[in-house]
Order: sequence, then structure tokens, then C-alpha cells
Amino acid sequence: MRTVLITWLAYLSVVSANAQGNPKQLLQAVNRKFAQVSDYSANLNMQFNIPSVALEPVSGKVYYKAPDKFRIKATGILFMPRQNPYYTLQSIRDTNAYTAVFAGQEQVGTVRTTVINVIPYDNAGELILARLWIDPARQLILKSQLTTKTNGTILVEQFYGAMQQKGLPDRIRFSIDVARFKVPKTVAIDLNSKSKNQSLPAKGTGIIELSFSGYTLNQKLSDSVFREEAQGN
Amino acid sequence: MRTLLLTELYKIGTRPRSYIGFVAITAIVLLIELALWLDGEAYIGFILQSLEQSFDVQGRILNGQLVAFVILQTLIVQMPLLVALISGDLISGEAAAGTIRLLMTRPYTRGEVLWAKFTAASIYVFLLILWLGLLALGGGMLFFGGGDLIVLKSDGLIILKEADTLWRFFAAFGISFLSLSVVSTFSLMLSCFTDNSIGPIIASMAVIILFTIIGTLEVPLFERITPFLFTTHMIVWRNLFDFPLDIPLLLRSSAVLVGHILVFLGISFYHFSKKDIQH
Repeated sequence: MRTVLITWLAYLSVVSANAQGNPKQLLQAVNRKFAQVSDYSANLNMQFNIPSVALEPVSGKVYYKAPDKFRIKATGILFMPRQNPYYTLQSIRDTNAYTAVFAGQEQVGTVRTTVINVIPYDNAGELILARLWIDPARQLILKSQLTTKTNGTILVEQFYGAMQQKGLPDRIRFSIDVARFKVPKTVAIDLNSKSKNQSLPAKGTGIIELSFSGYTLNQKLSDSVFREEAQGN
Repeated sequence: MRTLLLTELYKIGTRPRSYIGFVAITAIVLLIELALWLDGEAYIGFILQSLEQSFDVQGRILNGQLVAFVILQTLIVQMPLLVALISGDLISGEAAAGTIRLLMTRPYTRGEVLWAKFTAASIYVFLLILWLGLLALGGGMLFFGGGDLIVLKSDGLIILKEADTLWRFFAAFGISFLSLSVVSTFSLMLSCFTDNSIGPIIASMAVIILFTIIGTLEVPLFERITPFLFTTHMIVWRNLFDFPLDIPLLLRSSAVLVGHILVFLGISFYHFSKKDIQH
């Protein structure tokens, strides 16, 4: 099934490449823009809207170092996507590792975007398919839909501001499939509560929004910043 | 009056059964803390497994706050039984032992005697809760450290900031004090009606167990009765860990608990002041 899909998309790729140019060129342009950043630190505010979980916004500090080091330092408990915010960019860095196919054009907000499907060659990898909505004028990914093996489908929307020249977003919103939270009352020691929410769907969408501010770029961050401390706080 | 109160406290202090509550609380709390120390991560992992499929849950989840919350959940339901053990025979125990006549010969009114017994029972309840708080919250913080509190519910989680939890625990202990005072005055009231030492204790326990069962079973008939049972309002301390807080519910339930205390105390005073003391 995967082979058929790749063959079909490869065929489409050839047809559309003739019509619109090579999609990998656009992806490379996106990569080049982000490659100007070797590392950064920034202030981070995280907001959560996860079904069955009440969690107040959390503030902290975020650190990134190319190619794939990412760390959030914040006090307290927080829920993060299993992939780091640059997972999409990391996935498209090696243009020989996937097939890229034009999938038309779509409006995202006020921007006419080029839609590209990315299918990795590596069957064992976590990513099955990435669908990217790219602003061709600014060479920025505005939206990506990642279909993963273990975490279902994740929608990542990126909103740019002052740092768009470097490919860094002001805000990233993750929409993630979440199974309904349910544990036995005896396990939660919640014996006296009344049952409710019986009619809730088995699945919902959890939203995590990261807002970045005060970026400091290319300061040669030490690897020790990315090491986990003994306790997870 | 002070002498009378000290005498009542002395009586409670010299009875071995008064220490059953403290020993039971110590044993249960230490057992839960040991269990969570050894298997807490697995327990948390089991609860969070559906969420961890989608999210990376970061931070110190197993901490003193969570341990204290789990202990309160487990213990506060059982504590009324420990209180009834003491307050259930404050009057009837004296009647059964034949010391009540001697007590009545002292230069105090019956109201003052009853008031001293009620105050002594309240101090006992306070000490019991203080001990629970010290072991649960103090021990939890000592062995597991602090952190944000994950309030476990069967159908959801509430995560409260560490700085926002301490006052909730103190308020929860306050409401627990009110709840246990309801039990204390209820069994004191029953104690006024009989000369049998064990009867009021057993009757209090039976009523609490019955009311708790009615409140737990989700049968439509019982659901109509539940709001009128004092046991329903005794577990309102849990709502202090909700976000946002349901203030009207907390105030209403606290008022209901205070109302019960006043009614039970009123009946006790009325009956005890007219009681025909024969033994």
C-alpha cells in the first residue's frame, strides 16, 4: 500500500514538477531560511486546552540548538507535544530522504499557500506523511499536518511576526488527537464523585499554544543547557 | 469551666481507645507513603497512560502535594469512625460507669458539663486532623518534595500550581474539621439518649456507613435523598481542589455542616438538661 502510494505520488510529482517547478526547491528554500539560526533562546508562554485536563498557562524559557536540540525550562507540570516544534523542519532537512509532491494551492488566512506532501522513504521512521502549507513568497511553513505512527495526526500552525526573516514563529499552535481520559474510580481514589460526561466522545482534540518572545539568536549555547536535570521540573 | 474542660480532656487522654485513631492514621499514612515511594511512578504511569500516548507530560508529578491529596482521599472517609469511637460514649459512658451522678454533684450546670464535653471532643477532632495534616502534608513534602498538584479524578485531571495548593489543603483541613465535628456532635447527641456505652458508637458508625452507601450508589431514588444527608456535604473538601472553585457549593455545604452541628448540639442540650439521671 505504501509502495503504491509512493509510486502514485512520485508520478504526480513528475507531472506537477513540470507545471510548478520542483517542490524540493521550495523546501530547500524554507530550510535555508531556518539554517541562519544555529541556536536561540527565548521566553515562552504555553497555553493548554486539552479535553479532561485543566491546566493553567505556564511560562518558561526555551532553548534550541541546530540540528535537533530543543529544551523547555519551566517550573511545574506541563503537557507538551511528543514532537518538538521543529520536527517538521528536521524531517525535510535531508531532501534525499523523502518524496515531495505538489498538492495544489490553498488559502491559509490571507496567504495563498503552496501545499506539498512529503513522504519519507524510511518505513521504520515515526513520520508517515507530512502535508505542508508553505507561503512561497516568504518561504515559511504556515501549517503542517503530520501523520505519525504512534501519535496519530498532529496539526501544527505557525504564526510569524518580527522574526519571520529567520523563519522563527511568534506563535505555534499544536492540535493533537487525544483519547478520552478515563480511569477506574478506585485507581483515582475518586469513590465519592458522581459519574458525569458519559456522553463525551471517545476522542477529542487537545490544543497547545506556544508563544515566543525575546528571541536571542546564535549565542553558541552549550550542550549542557539541553541536559535533563535529576528531577523533571 | 476551665477545670471542667481540663477534666474532660484528661478523661479522653487516659482512655486507651483515644489513641486508636492516632495509631491508625499513622499506620495508614506511612503505608500509603511507602507504597507510593516504591510504586508511585507505576501508579502515575497507569493513570496518565492514555494522555502520554499524545503528550509528553513533564515535571515532578509524584510529589508531596499529590501524596497528601491521595492520603486525604483515602482517610477522610474513614475518620468519622475514629471520632465516633470517642464522642459516642462521652455521656453514655459516664452513665454506664455510674460516674454521671457524681459529675452532676459538682457546682456546674448540665449545660456547662455538656459544653465541656463537646469542647473536649472538638479538641480531640482538631488534634486528629492536625496529626493527619502533619503526617500527610509534612511527611509527603519531606519524602517526596514539593511541586504542582495533579488532582486525580476518574474522568479528568486538574493541575494546580504549587503556590496555589497550600491554602487549599488548610481550607480542606478546616472543612474536614467541620465534617468531623458533625459526626462528633451526632454521636454526642446519641450518647445523651442512652446509658449504654457501645450503643451510640455503633449507631453513629451505622448511620455514617448507611448514608455513605446511599450517597455512593447512583440510583435515581437515592439521588433525590443524597442532598439531605450530612455525609454528602462532608466530602465537599474535595471541591476545594477544583478549578475554578465552586464557591456557592462550598459555602452552602459548610453552612449545612454548621447547621447540623447546631441542631445536634441543640437536641443534646435540650435532652441532657431534662434527662432523668437514675444511675
